[in-house]
Amino acid sequence: MRVRIAPPWWFAVPAILVYAVVVLYPSIAGAGSAFTDWSGIGNAKTFVGIDNFKQLAHDSQALGALRNTLLLTVAIVVVQNGIGLLLALGVHTGIKSRMALRLVFFAPVVVSPVMVSFLWKFVYNPAPDAGLNAALGAVGLGGLRQDWLGNPSLALWSVAFTVIWQCAGYSMVIFLAGLEGVPAELHESAMVDGAGTVARFRYITWPLLAPAVTINVMLSTVGGLTLFTQIIAMTNGGPGYATDTLSTVLYKQAFVFGKFGYSTAVALVLAIFVAAVSFLQIGYLRSRETAA
Amino acid sequence: MALDQSVSRRRLLQLIGGASVAATAVGTLAACGGGGSGSSSSGGTLKVIGVGDQEAGLRKLLDTYKSSHSGFDFNLSFAPADQVQTALRTQLGGGNAPDVHVVYPGNGSAMSMAQLAKAGLLADLSSQSWTQKIPDGFKGAFQSDGKTYIYSPGSSMLGAIYNKKAFATAGVEPPTTWSELLSVCEKLKAKGIVPIALGAQTPWITQLIPYALVPGTVYAKTPDFDDKMLAGQASFADSGWVDAMNKYLELQKKGFFNDNPNGTTYEQATSMVATGKAAMAVQVSAVLGAFRAASQTPDDLSMFPFPATDVAADNWIPAGVVVGIAISAKSKKTDQAKSFLDYCGQQENLNTWAEAVSCVPLYGDAKVDPALTLFLPALKANKAVPFMDQRWPNAEVQPTHFAVVQELLGGKTTVDAALKKMDEAYRKKA
Repeated sequence: MRVRIAPPWWFAVPAILVYAVVVLYPSIAGAGSAFTDWSGIGNAKTFVGIDNFKQLAHDSQALGALRNTLLLTVAIVVVQNGIGLLLALGVHTGIKSRMALRLVFFAPVVVSPVMVSFLWKFVYNPAPDAGLNAALGAVGLGGLRQDWLGNPSLALWSVAFTVIWQCAGYSMVIFLAGLEGVPAELHESAMVDGAGTVARFRYITWPLLAPAVTINVMLSTVGGLTLFTQIIAMTNGGPGYATDTLSTVLYKQAFVFGKFGYSTAVALVLAIFVAAVSFLQIGYLRSRETAA
Repeated sequence: MALDQSVSRRRLLQLIGGASVAATAVGTLAACGGGGSGSSSSGGTLKVIGVGDQEAGLRKLLDTYKSSHSGFDFNLSFAPADQVQTALRTQLGGGNAPDVHVVYPGNGSAMSMAQLAKAGLLADLSSQSWTQKIPDGFKGAFQSDGKTYIYSPGSSMLGAIYNKKAFATAGVEPPTTWSELLSVCEKLKAKGIVPIALGAQTPWITQLIPYALVPGTVYAKTPDFDDKMLAGQASFADSGWVDAMNKYLELQKKGFFNDNPNGTTYEQATSMVATGKAAMAVQVSAVLGAFRAASQTPDDLSMFPFPATDVAADNWIPAGVVVGIAISAKSKKTDQAKSFLDYCGQQENLNTWAEAVSCVPLYGDAKVDPALTLFLPALKANKAVPFMDQRWPNAEVQPTHFAVVQELLGGKTTVDAALKKMDEAYRKKA
């Protein structure tokens, strides 16, 4: 019989101290500037109470960015995980090239998002004889040529596509890990009972994949809500404000407009928003896991 | 001293805190993970950071200064303008900026002389003798509260960089009035040449055509427009800016730009003009070097003032003091840095830098790049207007200008709504 001995609490003191100095203090002190008009440089700083938050509620640019952020997040969560799941199911079969395919689908994940963004900027070149437009022309679909990043109605979706292209392989790997955990005997006995592929997916694979779904939805939601790199690198929030997200707005407020106080207020709201969404999501998805 | 240190450390931690709140938001998870960049200063050498446009001049002077001053050494780095804005501001906020760093003249951006001087981050250069030679008209770009904080080699002209061969193919000459410009564009277009290359996906490019037009549509009639704006007696939406923006859109409607300007970058537009696929691009003379470098026949590239009206005498030109350098107030090598800036201020060295970046030297009668000849009469007649943002009161107007131009080109807003948005940004406090 094993006896569990709880370690003395003070064992944690060094870690707590380091955490307090490196994470807690700067975060709280930094959050304090959300209530000031600090420019980010110099000492001039006045306490303005909740003015920054009031301004945020009426800031049309931030509200537009919120809309873009939500649209992007929904698109990324649904499509990236949908494709990730299909890819996982595809490479989880007995096909010969499955290892090579896994590698190919996962490869974009290990490339820096900035590199991927610049690469796709070439692909999205609006000239009819370049990138994607040239490819469309070559297969006789010249009529579908677009100004992918320059058309304000299209730019957001072009960025979303790039993110999905890069990150679908990541979802695939997590689903694949989930699929490996589905016992083969369940499938075998279901097959004996005459269940088809769809029925087996619906009643065996899908419920047992619940933990993988939780992780994937969580990660892609947080990733979508905080999307920054690809937007700054591909469109810088443009054309106009068409692809601004909350992250790019807070970046611009701090480093372009020199409004660090206001930017911190945006960051604080975003952080609380992300935490709240994640909390609700994980609550729901976990209950689904136990139900399954 | 100890108190000083603890204060600055606290401020640094707060900055990191702000950044860490931001990082919670901005940094992405494993799949799309982010990263940070840092830099540290090494002892002994003068740390200098500039933007790409400055490289040709700044590097040349640092090299010659080093060769004539034993024991002097420098560590020079460059970055694109928007990256400098982020990295350098963070360093300034943390109190560890490079000894000598890039600063924009006048006011109107978060890295402008007036904004940084106000925060006490720049060393006062007023005691240097070259500062006495700054022409009166340019003092606003160099001085805040009567003290000089920035060195710049001179002024850059803004106009059309054009490909002479493309003009010859269409049998046209540089226009001097708006109507002539339209007919030149028409003829170029008929020859299958894109009349004006516009890479409006690169934000700062969006502003160049309005900057080229408003000296004629606004300042020729109201030379004190900036003062009136500051006093609240004028607005963008009720001024010659309307005419300028309408003309911008007229060029687009007539098909005088390349297709999809909002999806085209500065680099793509540059190569279009350099290769003769496009005939011209509205640009600052400081990038003439980049255009020449992209061309197989650099001598084919020259410049002319971009006409804004049909009255040739009203076609004033935009001429802005080019991006300069300043000394960090917190630098421990202030003496070394000041002596280098004093060296830059000597006529011969000023000319060297000015020539390297195709600008008109701040003072003295040096020869200028022949491509700028057509600008000199307006410059002599005092018909030059500094780049508009240099007198805008906060850092928000210029980015708003970029965004509304992209919206206009994308058909997402109207001239009136766009200019009202700029007015709104202008009225915000600094």
